[in-house]
Amino acid sequence: MNIIVIVKHVPDLVEELEIAEDGKDLNRDFLKFVVNEFDDQALEQALLLKEKGGGTITAVALDAPEIDQTLFTCLAKGADKAVKIVGDLEGRVTSHAAAHMLADALKAMSHDLILTGVQSAEDLDGQVGPLLATYLGEPHVSVVTGVEARGQMVVVRQEYAGGVTGEFEVDLPAVLGIQAAPQPPRYAPISRVRATMKEKKLVEIQAAAADGAGLNVRQMVRPQVASHAEMIEGNTDTVVERIVGIMAERGLMNG
Amino acid sequence: MLTSEEKVYFGILVILTLSWAAIDFARIAAVIVSRPGFSVRVVLSRAVRRLPSMLTQVGATLPVFRLRPREGVFHYLIFAAFSFYALVNVLDTFSAFTGFSTIGQNVLLDAYNLIADVLSVLGLIGMAYFLVRRFVQKPPVLNFNPGVVLYPKVSAGGIRRDSLIVGAFILTHVGSRWLGTAFHLAQAQETSLYLPTASVVSLALAGLPAAALAFGVHATFWLAVGLILLFFPYFVRSKHIHIFFAPLNWLLRPDRPLGEIQPLKTDGRPLALQDLRWHQLLDTYACIMCNRCQQVCPAHNAGQPLSPAALEINKRYYLTDHLHEFADGSAPRVPLLDYAISREAVWACTTCGACVDICPVGNAPMLDIIDIRRSLIEQGDTLDAGVQKSLENLGKQGNSFGASGRARAKWTQGLPFKVKDARKEPVDYLWFVGDYASFDARSQQLTRLVAKVLNDAGVSFGILYEAEWNSGNDARRVGEEGLFEMLAEHNVAALDSAQFKEIITTDPHTMNALRFEYAKMGKRYKVSHYSQVLARLVDEGKIVLRPQNGVNGATRRRVTYHDPCYLGRYNRVFDAPRALIERSGLQLVEMPRNHNGSFCCGAGGGQIWSANSKQAERPSEQRIREALALGDVQTFIVSCPKDMAMYSDAVKTSGNEGKVVVKDIIEVVVEAMAESAHEPKR
Repeated sequence: MNIIVIVKHVPDLVEELEIAEDGKDLNRDFLKFVVNEFDDQALEQALLLKEKGGGTITAVALDAPEIDQTLFTCLAKGADKAVKIVGDLEGRVTSHAAAHMLADALKAMSHDLILTGVQSAEDLDGQVGPLLATYLGEPHVSVVTGVEARGQMVVVRQEYAGGVTGEFEVDLPAVLGIQAAPQPPRYAPISRVRATMKEKKLVEIQAAAADGAGLNVRQMVRPQVASHAEMIEGNTDTVVERIVGIMAERGLMNG
Repeated sequence: MLTSEEKVYFGILVILTLSWAAIDFARIAAVIVSRPGFSVRVVLSRAVRRLPSMLTQVGATLPVFRLRPREGVFHYLIFAAFSFYALVNVLDTFSAFTGFSTIGQNVLLDAYNLIADVLSVLGLIGMAYFLVRRFVQKPPVLNFNPGVVLYPKVSAGGIRRDSLIVGAFILTHVGSRWLGTAFHLAQAQETSLYLPTASVVSLALAGLPAAALAFGVHATFWLAVGLILLFFPYFVRSKHIHIFFAPLNWLLRPDRPLGEIQPLKTDGRPLALQDLRWHQLLDTYACIMCNRCQQVCPAHNAGQPLSPAALEINKRYYLTDHLHEFADGSAPRVPLLDYAISREAVWACTTCGACVDICPVGNAPMLDIIDIRRSLIEQGDTLDAGVQKSLENLGKQGNSFGASGRARAKWTQGLPFKVKDARKEPVDYLWFVGDYASFDARSQQLTRLVAKVLNDAGVSFGILYEAEWNSGNDARRVGEEGLFEMLAEHNVAALDSAQFKEIITTDPHTMNALRFEYAKMGKRYKVSHYSQVLARLVDEGKIVLRPQNGVNGATRRRVTYHDPCYLGRYNRVFDAPRALIERSGLQLVEMPRNHNGSFCCGAGGGQIWSANSKQAERPSEQRIREALALGDVQTFIVSCPKDMAMYSDAVKTSGNEGKVVVKDIIEVVVEAMAESAHEPKR
């Protein structure tokens, strides 16, 4: 099975995030980036499929600062090929534009399966996967927690509230949004990443003109601290009295 | 004395047994010599240089007395008897062939006879002691934890069998020779002052008929000297070969510091015996299977399936079973994890180095474990989640906490002065602070105290700010060699950009990396631990400790001190922290395990990053128990930020809050300084 895994970078949240002057994006000058954790899960799922049934894995990413390191890490973990889509990609790329550029590049790449992370810290709606599937005319399943190859289709698992699990048969080629691989993403030893950088090269593809449609950020603000927790202290009677008082204040008591 | 028939038999036996043993011995030598890293020149130069120190060390069997002094004494009896018997056997054979007698010849031979007579009895006593110990007393130190991987022949009782054979051989060999002398005396109807014990026995034998005495003389010769010949081929396969390989190991073992690890190329294959360096095979032949290493091993003490002894023993049994193939190079590559040690055991090691330090024959099983880790990492072994996260953090941000690397010097906020940036202005001391001291909330307060004390003492010091990354010491010991290299290269570049005379570290693990491992990258730094710098400042009068405590007959407060593995065993710093404690007016009470015999807190080698839930009683809790057993000691002093974290936790989890307080050495100093200021405390 030939699998394409889409990876992207998100800002490392351990850094202090600042909002840019125009109020529409993070100040990207001082950001550090890490791979989107769900993309890491998608890659792990792809590696498990390859280990079980053979095939190839191609990691694909839109150009971004430090993205080479991440693509080489994918190769070090066991991807066969890494593709970097280059072009006019400064700043934040909207999910519509990203899906558009990815679809354009992937049309030319033969594949059975495309795995994306289900969402990213920058795209909590998880739009890239469904949009990509739409542009490519392929079926799509999101929030997937397990993929198994079965002949000309894959069986995918979704987990619901209350411990209910659903299984879907999906015809190939298809796009899947991965929530979690059956096992935690593996570690890529630095020596292997470094060796990969010497041995392998990234394939560069020119991006199609970005489609302006999609979401636009009007304003970015820091979350406001609404209220603080109140610690109730004292003996049992005082505490009970206060709790009853609060419930009465909020109109939660009858009479 | 021997009949001509006997002489022929003896000659045939010599040729058969010695050539048999020599062939196996040559095989062992071939296997060791053909391993990576062996160089005749290096080995010869070590041998020449170390011969005198080896002879004194082995001659006194000093390391055997450690941990088990009683066994050390009884071992010495056997050792002395057996060593002297090398001469005895030659003379006995000579006498048997020529009819020469050593009795009543001259002063020299009288002395020889006296020594042989006394040592025979002492050697027999020594051997009897060990047989009783192993087969009657059965001390638990000879058992392995449940789950420890044992070679099938070992679990089938191979060591007991081997011990019994060797013990019976020594008893028979020495006993027969001793009895033989008595038969000689009885036959000649004489006694000798120089053969006191044999003479007494000879009196008892005197009544026997001449034929019986003659038979006795011949039989005891064969049971003494003949048995040795028969024993030779077995000797090569038995643990008794340690009498040859232990001295050789002390002579030839690498003289690298404990904390300097050799790079390893495994080509991504599981580590096999073929990948081990020559001295790692020398180790396995030197091993006498005494289990001292597991007795001091924190993982073994915590009930985990790690025994450094079992690792060496399994290697040895495997090698013995496949000696032919290893000698001719046809042995298949079988992963060590298949028979020598389990994956779980490999990941349980804290790299505390206690096994290496205690080994009476100079083995370093810890190095095998680190090598196996390195091959596991290279093969993409599934790591403990905490370890993996920490390694990823180190790769991304240069610290194991996963904090922003830019926040490295955040601890300096709140200091009444600005800590110099050593990259921007020259300083005397470059302070390499380390991860825990920089990022751990509890340690940060202590780090600020160190900064204040240094500043008040007028010390010119600076830090690297965000350019300081984790030293890579623990990453290397987890087996992540590439990550270590990356971190080290970064730090070397950062240090190159700074001007300083000497490095101070807070973390002993960091001290090890900077001092011993970076040296291999061509960077020789003078590195001191902060306790050493503080002690120096006290000596120079730049820090004044004028403790009230203990002055004018007042009782000094009793405290104990824990030697961190990487400060003590690795960097041999024992005195500076102790001097600070004494100068602070405290009375230091040593725990039973102190100095290089200190017991690991369980944090090293990446263990502090892992969940490690399979421990029966954590090493840190055992250590707190050890301190409390001293009685009347309420202060447990540490000099390593990881110790502060480990022992503060252990006091809580072992339910000893309020009974003992963990204090860093800097707190001790600051308290003694405050008392010297004669100011009312605010």
